[in-house]
Amino acid sequence: MSAIEVRDVWKKYRRPHVKTTSVKEAALAILRGQQGYDEFWALQGVSFEVQQGEAIGLIGPNGSGKSTMLGMLARVLKPTRGTMSVRGRVCPLLELGTGFHPELSGRENVFLNSSLLGLTRRETQQRYDSIVDFAELGEFMDSPVKTYSTGMVIRLGFSVAVHMDPDVLLIDEVLGVGDEHFQHKSFGRLLEFKEEGRTMFVVSHNLQSVGILCERAIWLDRGRMVKDEGSDEVITKYKAAVEAWERSLAEAKTRDAPAS
Amino acid sequence: MRSSAMSELLEVLRYREILWNLVRRNLKVRYKNSVLGFAWSLLNPLMQIGVWYFVFKILFGRDEPNFMALLVTGFLPWLFFSQTIMDSTAAVSQEMPLIKKAYFPRTILPVSVLLSNLIHLGFAFIVLLALFALWGVDLNIHYLWVIPSTILVAVFAYGLCAMLAAWSVFYADVKFIVSNLLGLWFFLTPVLYPLKLVLDKTMESPDNWVEFFLQSNLPLFKKIYVIDPLTIAIEGYRSALLEGGAMPIADPRYPFWHYAIGAAVIAVATAVIGQIIFRRKADAFAEQG
Repeated sequence: MSAIEVRDVWKKYRRPHVKTTSVKEAALAILRGQQGYDEFWALQGVSFEVQQGEAIGLIGPNGSGKSTMLGMLARVLKPTRGTMSVRGRVCPLLELGTGFHPELSGRENVFLNSSLLGLTRRETQQRYDSIVDFAELGEFMDSPVKTYSTGMVIRLGFSVAVHMDPDVLLIDEVLGVGDEHFQHKSFGRLLEFKEEGRTMFVVSHNLQSVGILCERAIWLDRGRMVKDEGSDEVITKYKAAVEAWERSLAEAKTRDAPAS
Repeated sequence: MRSSAMSELLEVLRYREILWNLVRRNLKVRYKNSVLGFAWSLLNPLMQIGVWYFVFKILFGRDEPNFMALLVTGFLPWLFFSQTIMDSTAAVSQEMPLIKKAYFPRTILPVSVLLSNLIHLGFAFIVLLALFALWGVDLNIHYLWVIPSTILVAVFAYGLCAMLAAWSVFYADVKFIVSNLLGLWFFLTPVLYPLKLVLDKTMESPDNWVEFFLQSNLPLFKKIYVIDPLTIAIEGYRSALLEGGAMPIADPRYPFWHYAIGAAVIAVATAVIGQIIFRRKADAFAEQG
């Protein structure tokens, strides 16, 4: 049974020329007959399926639509066209460490964040010790989050997220959070998820980690799917393409250099 | 429409855990780092009322029996309303990190603002009743009339809150317009003066175009003034707390129930329109900023 189904999904964004944030600017733009924005397609007809228990990586250069895809799978964004469905409880590991309120204690924020990810108060209570333990923040939990370092906030965010009981994990660039020790630990936790047969959807620029975590990878470029194959093949081809592109850049530079 | 409103409500109920957590957070954060904490729910309006008392009673020598009680009872519903409206402009735009993080019905955001402020009103009320008891005022059953009055303002405030919350995401100007209009609106409700002052107002010889405009349609403007859900609620509070549930307004030219029903219709219509506007904008929230 497929856990994720994406059918011919398109996503259009409006890119304002000059950011219109006031009524006056908007009124002036209308008077001048300006539209005020460009439309651009972040995703252009992407389709794929992910089977239950499969781990799939999404790679591609900046601006290729990876995060947009993830945002739509998390239901944070809506596709402009096309349909998508995700079966089961989804745990989005997006924007880790955001959504914490600086004035509230770590403890209070854990409960707020967990409820945002779909846990009830009781479920959070059951996991609370384990969450604190994993984040290694024992003695800080009653201090306001504004006194935390960036690393502590991210650790707490990650810890809350991996204590959900998800069928599908959506992971956006969280493979390298925290110090060396925490990176090992969090990567180990993700491997455990994989062994438990949970579906994983990983967006990352860390190709090595994608290679280890995922058996399959999708390569996106400017909103279109380039490849959807085994992760090792896709990564090899992607690396080759990036190298070729860098070579051509370097060549263009040396070619132009004498002229100038 | 009906079924989608129903499913919206069910969706909010399904995510009530987030709703309660947001309300809890709003309450905790407002008086965080203050020694007196929740007592500020009533101390704040009391201090404001103290200022007015000083200005009007002592400086201007306004001679009205029960002036203080008039101020307290009028100011509580007004404060609830204006605080909800002020909070609404940040209800979505300040919650972008949550919005970008996970899905939840966005309607929860304006609802959490409304609930937080209702709870503050509740606190203020409890302290007020304690003060009444201290002053030896007899509590009576007519106090319950504050409940329908509160519901009326709450429904009205929710509609405005939802639409302002959505617009504020796209236009920063909304905040400034709102705070200024609230300043005007405050004087267009009978908080600082008795309703009678407006109802008996006549304008003989207009001096300028504003006065001329008002004079030309004075009966109509008075009707609008009375049908304002805030006016009805404030008069409802006064009747409940000060006049033992006597018919509010007490002016045969303005039969209370006609105007109360009119105000209720306005409040419900505002809530429906506000919710429709909010839902139409909600999908674009995460793409903003």
